[in-house]
Amino acid sequence: MIRRLAGVVVVPAVVAALVSGCGGDSDTPATEDGVVIDVVIDGGSVTPSNERIEAAVGETVTVRIESDADDELHVHAVPEHSFEIHPGTQETQFSVDVPGQVAVELHDAGTTVATLLVRP
Amino acid sequence: MTVVLAHGLGGSTDLPIPFTYALIGASWALTVSFVVLAFAWRTPKLDPDSPGHRLPGWVTRFADAPITRNVLAAFGLVFAVWVALAAFFGPSESSENALPGVFYVLLWVGLVAVSLAFGPVWRVLSPVRTLHRSVCAVIGRSPTEGTARYRNSWGYWPAVAGLFAFVWLELASGDPGSVAAVRTWLLVYVVVTTAGAFTCGERWCERGDPFEVYSTLASRLSPLSRDRHDGRIVLRNPLDHLGSMPVRAGSVALMATLLGSTAFDSFSAFPWWARLVDGIGSPIGATLARTAGLLVFIGFVGVSFWVASRAAGGLRPEQRAALPGLLSHSLIPIIIGYVFAHYLTYLVEKGQATVILLADPMGRGWNPLGLGDAEVWYVLSEHPAATASIKVLCVLAGHVLGVIAAHDKSVRLLPRGHQLTGQLALLFTMVTYTFGGLYLLFGG
Repeated sequence: MIRRLAGVVVVPAVVAALVSGCGGDSDTPATEDGVVIDVVIDGGSVTPSNERIEAAVGETVTVRIESDADDELHVHAVPEHSFEIHPGTQETQFSVDVPGQVAVELHDAGTTVATLLVRP
Repeated sequence: MTVVLAHGLGGSTDLPIPFTYALIGASWALTVSFVVLAFAWRTPKLDPDSPGHRLPGWVTRFADAPITRNVLAAFGLVFAVWVALAAFFGPSESSENALPGVFYVLLWVGLVAVSLAFGPVWRVLSPVRTLHRSVCAVIGRSPTEGTARYRNSWGYWPAVAGLFAFVWLELASGDPGSVAAVRTWLLVYVVVTTAGAFTCGERWCERGDPFEVYSTLASRLSPLSRDRHDGRIVLRNPLDHLGSMPVRAGSVALMATLLGSTAFDSFSAFPWWARLVDGIGSPIGATLARTAGLLVFIGFVGVSFWVASRAAGGLRPEQRAALPGLLSHSLIPIIIGYVFAHYLTYLVEKGQATVILLADPMGRGWNPLGLGDAEVWYVLSEHPAATASIKVLCVLAGHVLGVIAAHDKSVRLLPRGHQLTGQLALLFTMVTYTFGGLYLLFGG
């Protein structure tokens, strides 16, 4: 029931992203090899912002970042994870051990990129 | 600029409760409310003077013994000094410092849990009270005396201001997790409360100390209370005890601050609100927006309760004016239920993390009792379905107790012929709070 309900919420978001093809909703969950989040930092503006993304405990979460500035990515999970960002394209991977809502934040830009709903 | 962490603490937060759980909770809340209205007693039954079940005399003697009181007071003082080590000499990185956890988890939520179990413990533990009492003993003054009188018109207002300052730091300020911010807050608290105690005597602590007022409020729902005549400790229906919360100026504001801020805390996690605040760009603008949001939530609770509790017929103006205060105790169970629904995981899991950090307050590798090697047991996070059930039960229990307390007080206060209609608005308001609370826990 919980998963089906989550599906109802996530599927339209994915469809919307596919249809519009724009960078606004760049979450692409439900791929074979875990969750991928594409983050763009451009002139101080960050996309996506405060996205809600479903994930599972132990699943690999990949964050691909295209940035024009230095920053630091903080993943407020158990265990905590952080990653230094430099201008250019880079990616980091982590997985979450304990279920919960996990905020993925950019320390210098001061924004929450996404909140992962990590379910058991 | 730094990101505002939930409650100023790192780590993950609870998953939203499933929609079905919220729905089931809401329908039970609605059903029980109307059952109480339609079928419950028509003559008041709840009485703070009811005798209850008297516990053996040694329980009271033990609780009141000077040695018990002094040991607890000394524990409070030593604990405060230990935390001060972390505050002044500890690591500046907030995830490595015990101070934010002590402040946001042990003090804010732990105090409620302990007061609920044992009664108003802050009165005994408060380091400021201990300090004040000791100085009074040295200079030969009674602790109840001061140089000025604590006016009745001040009521709970200093405590309300203090509680608002707390929730503002936690939920609206720019960096609630910063060790420096929490340290500054606590320094101001200690200075203000100490000055109040020496100026107005212990009455300041009783009515003006935010933590003592919060602790007293939570203790009204404790099964342990005292016989009002001989002071003996009794086991009593908490609903009987609830009505003994003294009504003073600021009673409704006190309840509104506690309930409204907890609701705003849930609301802050809504993506559209977070996006709106992030979109402002400037840290001061974001703080102002969060402050406004916090005030709107507190204001909504206060105004809706004030209006609804006065919406009864057949009363003289001065009787009507007294109603919001006289009914305000009925919000206590709703507050406590929602606080536990919202902060239980924090208390249990971040509480463990805080105690582990406290083993080494200054970050020098201290490891008393091997505590530093302990690991947090994520007993609630690992079982989201059970946790969601507990949360809904907390909200529901708080709602049912609140509705019963309000019903009983209404039949005591309202004139015959207006007793049922006079409760309707208040009942509707409480149902609104509970629906709102469940919706917020569901995460929108």
